[in-house]
Amino acid sequence: MNDFHNLPVQKKFSILQTDKLALQKWYHLMVLGRILDEKAPNYLKQAIGWSYHAPYAGHDGIQLAIGQIFNREKDHLFPYYRDLLTNLSAGLTADEIILNGISKSNDVNSGGRHMSNHFGKPAWNIHNVSSSTGNHTLHAAGVGRAIKYYKSDGVAICSQGESSVSEGYVYEAINGASTEELPVIFVFQDNGYGISVPKKDQTANRKVANNFLGFKNLRVIHCNGKDVFDSMNAMTEAKNWVIENQKPCIVQANCIRIHSHSNSDRHDLYRNEVELNYVREYDPLAKFKRLLLRYDRLSLEEINEIEAKAKDEVKLAHQFALHSPDPDPKSIYDFVYTDPFVSVKYPDGIQKTEGTGSKKKLIEAINETLKAEFTLNPDTFIWGQDIANKEKGGIFNVSKGLQKEFGKKRVFNGPIAEDFITGTANGMSRYSKKIRIVVEGAEFADYFWPAMEQFVEMTHEYWRTNGQFAPNVTIRLASGGYIGGGLYHSQTIEGSLVCFPGIRIVYPSFADDAAGLLRTSLRSEGPTLFLEPKALYNSPVAATTVPDDFEVPFGKARIRRSGQDLTIVTYGNTTHLSIQVADRISRDNGFEIEVVDLRSLIPLDKESILNSVRKTGKVLIVHEDKVFGGFGGELASIISDEAFEYLDAPIRRVGSEFTPVGFNRILEAAILPNENKIYEAAIALLKY
Amino acid sequence: MKKIAIVYSFNSVKSAKVASKIAEHLSGYTIVKLNVENCNAKEFILYDGYILSVPTWFDGELPNYWDEILPALDDLEMTGKKVALFGLGDQKNYPENFCDAVGILGDFFEEKGAKLIGYTSCDGYTFESSKALRENVLIGLLLDQENQSKLSDDRITKWVQQLELEFS
Repeated sequence: MNDFHNLPVQKKFSILQTDKLALQKWYHLMVLGRILDEKAPNYLKQAIGWSYHAPYAGHDGIQLAIGQIFNREKDHLFPYYRDLLTNLSAGLTADEIILNGISKSNDVNSGGRHMSNHFGKPAWNIHNVSSSTGNHTLHAAGVGRAIKYYKSDGVAICSQGESSVSEGYVYEAINGASTEELPVIFVFQDNGYGISVPKKDQTANRKVANNFLGFKNLRVIHCNGKDVFDSMNAMTEAKNWVIENQKPCIVQANCIRIHSHSNSDRHDLYRNEVELNYVREYDPLAKFKRLLLRYDRLSLEEINEIEAKAKDEVKLAHQFALHSPDPDPKSIYDFVYTDPFVSVKYPDGIQKTEGTGSKKKLIEAINETLKAEFTLNPDTFIWGQDIANKEKGGIFNVSKGLQKEFGKKRVFNGPIAEDFITGTANGMSRYSKKIRIVVEGAEFADYFWPAMEQFVEMTHEYWRTNGQFAPNVTIRLASGGYIGGGLYHSQTIEGSLVCFPGIRIVYPSFADDAAGLLRTSLRSEGPTLFLEPKALYNSPVAATTVPDDFEVPFGKARIRRSGQDLTIVTYGNTTHLSIQVADRISRDNGFEIEVVDLRSLIPLDKESILNSVRKTGKVLIVHEDKVFGGFGGELASIISDEAFEYLDAPIRRVGSEFTPVGFNRILEAAILPNENKIYEAAIALLKY
Repeated sequence: MKKIAIVYSFNSVKSAKVASKIAEHLSGYTIVKLNVENCNAKEFILYDGYILSVPTWFDGELPNYWDEILPALDDLEMTGKKVALFGLGDQKNYPENFCDAVGILGDFFEEKGAKLIGYTSCDGYTFESSKALRENVLIGLLLDQENQSKLSDDRITKWVQQLELEFS
């Protein structure tokens, strides 16, 4: 255990020392917050909105303090869903609180898209965070990395309830902040309950922050979150220490929950009257008021004046919010995707001089494109597991040489924590729009599942913030089988990921497309999932010439082979199998098959698919993923909906069997699609 | 005769009962009961010795009535005055901060120059940590009415006898 935990907290604030203007301001904020907190349930009762409300009463001291130490010019604040007073104290107005509560289009956090009681103001770096408890800890760690890299003297402040610390990714975030020595303050607002679950059921320590006492480079401060001065002293100490030492700090604030968890909870079902009286006895607002009067810091007249002013403010804010416009249902498709980089040189993503020059393997194309983009944009970063150590550059050496060329601050290893790798990318990209991040989301796509929660988060950001923030992140995943890898080194997981609006998904089959799509990903805003068929990294069939400046726009399929008798729609590993089958059938049977290589799954080039189907009248969909539940089902449905009258045969699909992929090569061959399976399906269709 | 103030919250129930028992049994001194909830520094400083009642609230905090009076007592000069502390706590449910408030208040008055008396043995208690524990000795009388109520009377009696000597 380090000695930081025993350092004294400077007692800068007290009822006697704090200047009167500050006391007046704080009392005003606290009264204003309470009026809003107590008024919120009425909106639901009147069917106006605010259907989710998590009252903050009992957290008054720490929430006031978080907001007071936040500097919108330099800091980044990640409040959670109980942080009404935190937001007010950080500068939001009563109008802005109510607009979020009743989900109006001029809600500064999300334009009515995000749940009520999720306050924020991205324009001021008060971030719009998920309802998924504690997941913003990873974003705070990520932006902390940027604050440190760019040598800002700000801090990231992350706030959450004590029960959400049970989430594994919170430990990942604090571990990462400790390892990288990041300027982040993690505030645990401890009211003793996670909805109805007492904290003794969450972890063995009553003070969960003490679980982290053994983490190096980390300081833990405990404070009374019900008390304004103790909270102000703790947060001020934490911020000064974090900035000075460039290390993380946990502030655990002991709070009380005066009311139920939310308006869908009834705490009288699990808390007795003795306990409820006990917590009411220590109402932080009442205590603060008593102190102000007892020590003659404010007169009763001054207090009454502040209370009256706050009431008037809420009345006006209420009227303003009620007359504010609701979101327009026509706007639902706004801000799902950012506008991508537009290629002027290669609008169709096809080489003009294909066939000349020496061929490059797919792995070389990715490696060289990364290096070119890292040279072009100094604000690019890459990290992942096993990604950089001397001559090693990723499990497949795709990133070989990057660290040597661009340094350890831009190219570095992450811990074996996929959610951390992905979540901190989201966080770091919040620091500046110019930043571009590439992550190897996992050693293999098979290991990406722990990052799913952050993947979903990444898909939500742009829409949920009403266009105010999109993480500029390219997630690379070595995907698919055909390497004898078994169940955990063969998965291709796009079928599970295409159902999340908000992320582009590309899956190249050839070196030039890999280079072009990667370049476009790195020049676009917003997240892209870049799936790499690892069996093709060094395969001669995927090698092509690659112009140095090659670009492939999103959503442009490529006709890899023309034909008029049958369309094969495919991508990834099976593009090559399909081309080989098409060549064989042409040779042996005289039919000409058109092979459409999708390259992008989202956005999807429907027109190229439909044009081909209209021409051939028959379609075979081939992908490596399982047939059942695979992306081919969507393709089949689109074709059926939009080109049914052109079809002369049923749509057929070839893909993996509905089993995991076996390790023994005999099993692998029986499970994955192969030339024979494609051949048989194609012949059946051609003869239909 | 020396004047000893027993300071506690008149609104409390369990602590008030203990305070009454102590007042009843402590002989040889003039005992005055002070309500911490509405006491001020001028009233507080009048005594030769003090017996302070401080239960521990939440995870190791002072009750609000002590928290709120401390700024008023911050400038007191307590040199030459003796302070004994007792506190109620729950060592089973709050083993990490059993009777912490006794330690917090003890530190405060020691800083003002007071001499703490009424130290007791930690034998017979089971807890993980306490701010009332210094080098294996408790700096006051800790009472656990939730889990060891049968031991309390005996503990109070012995402590009062000890105080009669130490206040002299």
